[in-house]
Amino acid sequence: MTLAEYFTDPILRAPSIGCMLMCMTAGVLGVVLFLQKKLLLSETVSHAAYPGALVGLIALALMGPEMEPYAFAAVLVGAFVFAWAGLKTVQFLENRFRIHADAALGFSLALFFGLGVLLTSWVQAVFPLWSNQAETLLFGQAATLTDGHLWVYGSLTAIVLTFVCLCFRPLQTLLFDRGSSAVERAVQLLLLLAIVVGIRSAGIILVAGMLIAPAVAARALARSLGPMFVWAAVFGGLSGFLGNVLTTHVRLPTGPAIVLVSTGFALLSLLVSPSRGVAFRFVRKYRFHLRCREENLLKELWKKGRMVRKGWVGFRLKQQGWVVRDGQWLHLTEDGKTKAAGIVRLHRLWELYLTEQLGVEAVRVHRSAEEMEHILTPELEERLTKVLANPEKDPHAQPIPPRRP
Amino acid sequence: MLKPLPGGSMVQADSLFVNYDRTAVLWDVTFSVPPGVLLGIVGPNGAGKSTLLKTLLGLVRPLSGNVFLNTGKIGYVPQRETVDWDFPITVLEVVLMGRYPSLRWWQRIRAADREAALHALTQVGMAELADRQIGELSGGQQQKLFLARALVQQPDVFFLDEPFAGIDLAAEKDIVQLLKQLKNQGKTIVVVHHDLPTVSEYFDWVLLLNTRLIACGPVTEVFHAENLRKTYGKTSPLFEEAVGLSAKQQSGL
Repeated sequence: MTLAEYFTDPILRAPSIGCMLMCMTAGVLGVVLFLQKKLLLSETVSHAAYPGALVGLIALALMGPEMEPYAFAAVLVGAFVFAWAGLKTVQFLENRFRIHADAALGFSLALFFGLGVLLTSWVQAVFPLWSNQAETLLFGQAATLTDGHLWVYGSLTAIVLTFVCLCFRPLQTLLFDRGSSAVERAVQLLLLLAIVVGIRSAGIILVAGMLIAPAVAARALARSLGPMFVWAAVFGGLSGFLGNVLTTHVRLPTGPAIVLVSTGFALLSLLVSPSRGVAFRFVRKYRFHLRCREENLLKELWKKGRMVRKGWVGFRLKQQGWVVRDGQWLHLTEDGKTKAAGIVRLHRLWELYLTEQLGVEAVRVHRSAEEMEHILTPELEERLTKVLANPEKDPHAQPIPPRRP
Repeated sequence: MLKPLPGGSMVQADSLFVNYDRTAVLWDVTFSVPPGVLLGIVGPNGAGKSTLLKTLLGLVRPLSGNVFLNTGKIGYVPQRETVDWDFPITVLEVVLMGRYPSLRWWQRIRAADREAALHALTQVGMAELADRQIGELSGGQQQKLFLARALVQQPDVFFLDEPFAGIDLAAEKDIVQLLKQLKNQGKTIVVVHHDLPTVSEYFDWVLLLNTRLIACGPVTEVFHAENLRKTYGKTSPLFEEAVGLSAKQQSGL
């Protein structure tokens, strides 16, 4: 199967495009929740939707088996009403009874999901024909999506994206300054819709993951709100699509597959994010460590004149033109001498600063200076020189090399 | 809140009462501030200084009483710790947000807005930091950033909530200098302040507050030992008990 077939094949296209659109929407709205620090709300709301979806099914079941084609709509309506009720329960508990957010979320989730479990067993006992339907609600089932469903997902995605584009500035104000209650209500409505519609592909249990993971991934890469929305949409769409591909190859339920992919993206971007990523931080730390070792060797050479030293650090210094190798001996070049003198100067300036300005004993200043000589910037050096009135001797009566002209 | 004020005052409060749950935060606060003054609101912790500021701004609804401002153009610099410094936004974008109220919600940011924002950043000496993430700024820079955001709105009245809390001395001096410039341009500036020794140096008017208003007027007239003792000394236990009881009755708790 080629990738293009997922978009053209009449049976495959509805599930793959549907999952993509749904996850894209969820990703974008997830950013809003993420920045409001209300991510768990999506978990509570999706669980609250569960009994609603079941009530919808039961209502249809009571009307008879010929109603089955309408199950989609009944589930949507029921889920929406209950999701709304779940949201209101949380808000009511928080505002009216001053219950802490965690407690309110937990209470509401347990209450509604408990009700859902109760209804599930009831459906299994009384309407065994429909219990399959009830089960797909939990983990999602994308394979049975049709072109008709696509219209629902398509319009919802269009609404959400238009809303975010048009109301970008009010949204930014809402999120950063906690302004405008009208925008807040609009966001809530869209969130409910996204969750309720998303249940079909990701399932009750995991739809929250679809909101959270893309936002986490996007935050690691974006420096400002606009790009964060774009990244979240991209990650959401990609994981929706790839999750669906995974489902057709390995026999996995759709929800877990999508969430696995999107959490993978989140982990990856946390790892490689240029500013916050673990990988880049490791590289930066390694570079700093290496520079310290290079500068320490330069300093030693400056004091001793020449040294026998093999290895990586000496090689790097040679590459950079600070030292030359003469047989087994390493010598500083003229450039190297200036550079080394600069480092010694920082070391001794700092020692003098500690003793003179901060009143630290002279015997205790060496260790701190060993560190600071690698850290002080030219600007700080300038200020130190000024504060200490361009000194010539350090606290141990050693000469401080003059500033480079 | 737009009403012409008697006597040409810029900010005026009339019998303000504010409760948080069971405690009275402001009790019968009445004062009036003329335009073109630099006013410091001073009082002990929990005296209701920030609450007074928020009530003047309309962010807190008083139980009773009225606030009058002689202008619609207000700039607000919130307390530094109330801001989410981890938010994905750059310095320039924060300042641009100051222009949002003058834009319709579908309008794009115009070149003029960008220019004004950059100019405001220059005024506070932060133009070269325009592309930084706000989380990367030092405390003093964070404070100046929000001052720039207020500046870009070109307000007549500035409200600053504890602008000098937790910032270095150099930044504090910069901000004071800028505030004095604004005052000389005829702006009214209201600052919640907590450091008594600097009051006479920074402000020309002072408002002494401890739940009730002790005094409000020019520093030279009202900032003296007697009033300070009233503000910071132990309040009468009878007064506290009576006020607490009243708040309790009104909240029904």
